[in-house]
Amino acid sequence: MEIEQEDLSPETAFEKDPFGITVEDVYDMSHVIGKDLMKISKETRGATEHVADLQFKIVRVLEILETLVNQSSLSAEEVKMERDNLKAEVERLTKESPSADQTDLGPDKMVIDLRDPNRPRFTLQELREVLQERNKLKVQLLVAQDELQCYKSGIIPPTEDHIVTLENESIITTSPRPNGGSKEKSTIGRLFSPFKQEKQEQ
Amino acid sequence: MQGQQLSPVSRDRLICQMPKCYTAESCLQYKTHFDAQVKSACQQRHAGNFGLKMSKVVMVGDLYVGKTSLINRFCKNAFDRDYKATIGVDFEIERFEILGIPYNLQIWDTAGQEKFKCIASAYYRGAQVIITAFDLSDIQTLEHTKHWLQDALKENEPDTCSVFLVGTKKDTLSEAECERTERDALKFAVEMKAEYWSVSAKTGENVKDFFFRVASLAFEQSMKKELEKNGHSATQIGAGNLIQLEGNPSETKENDVQHNMNCC
Repeated sequence: MEIEQEDLSPETAFEKDPFGITVEDVYDMSHVIGKDLMKISKETRGATEHVADLQFKIVRVLEILETLVNQSSLSAEEVKMERDNLKAEVERLTKESPSADQTDLGPDKMVIDLRDPNRPRFTLQELREVLQERNKLKVQLLVAQDELQCYKSGIIPPTEDHIVTLENESIITTSPRPNGGSKEKSTIGRLFSPFKQEKQEQ
Repeated sequence: MQGQQLSPVSRDRLICQMPKCYTAESCLQYKTHFDAQVKSACQQRHAGNFGLKMSKVVMVGDLYVGKTSLINRFCKNAFDRDYKATIGVDFEIERFEILGIPYNLQIWDTAGQEKFKCIASAYYRGAQVIITAFDLSDIQTLEHTKHWLQDALKENEPDTCSVFLVGTKKDTLSEAECERTERDALKFAVEMKAEYWSVSAKTGENVKDFFFRVASLAFEQSMKKELEKNGHSATQIGAGNLIQLEGNPSETKENDVQHNMNCC
């Protein structure tokens, strides 16, 4: 700001807000006053002594003004520096601890970045269901593999109608339970019966 | 023929002798033979009336101790050196023939990661065997086995579970180091009332012996329960022994008198 003033006419220094005046403004003022005093002393030759006296007093007032402005601009500078330092500190702290802006979330909460393609987005219940489904399919696979093995090794003649039907019973109900009608069951049925109840075509 | 058996049990899953324990210092029972009543019942094919023969095994322990690797070595004879965390739970079914009776183990592999605990713990229920696994080269994982066991026991009726403590990655330690860790582990095993084993899924050391031991003890236990419930053999063999469970060394002599069965 101070540099810009050089382009302006020195007279503008007199129009400024008193609290915004800089040392350069004071020098501009002295320059203008000095020119005016010279003009007066040229035009009024008889009053040179009075003018010189007034000139001395004006210089003194300008010196006082210079000192005051200098001091206030120094403290203004200090305050500005202090402000910039604090600003930088705040920025650093917010960057370092993202939790700073979570203070109102509470200790057991989490902030999810919605732009993160790998963010958590499925519920526990959904995972449970997927796992149950997977377990069910794995059981079916094992049953099918076993049955295939039987056909391959000729234990079951290919013509025989031998269908194992699976029912969708939860895989978690795995506690061993006695099974009364086991005599009629195939090994396949016995093998997987803790997982699910099976029906067999007789 | 279909009424009994379809696809036959693999030849290397036949058990006719009680497999030995790993160390006498911490084992569930000292007996070198199957329970006499169980044997006799199997011989007489009373087993056909016992209902299904399947036991649930649950494997628990810290992440990266090698629970999945141990199961894969036994069930698939495979070892993958890359680590892949188990998501929630997985299971394998292993078919045995013990004393001539088809018998299956349902082996549940649980995730060791804390975040899956709430899912995996739902599968602890109804476990007849709890295997708590730890890494022999990481003592912290041994210390955590107690918590894992507590969590698993909480979901089950008291005194219904047999417990095994298994140290994994035996191949990564020298003999001396292994012995040192085993000494600590045995203390834990005794406190946990668990049978102790050191294994390596990578080399396969003790893996088959361990699971055969698990299968045999679980089989014997469930047969005893069935006999007790049905009261079948009560008239043939003294009823007084029916309630006894394994872990009683005084039983040994009595059982040794019984004839040994050769089924293989």
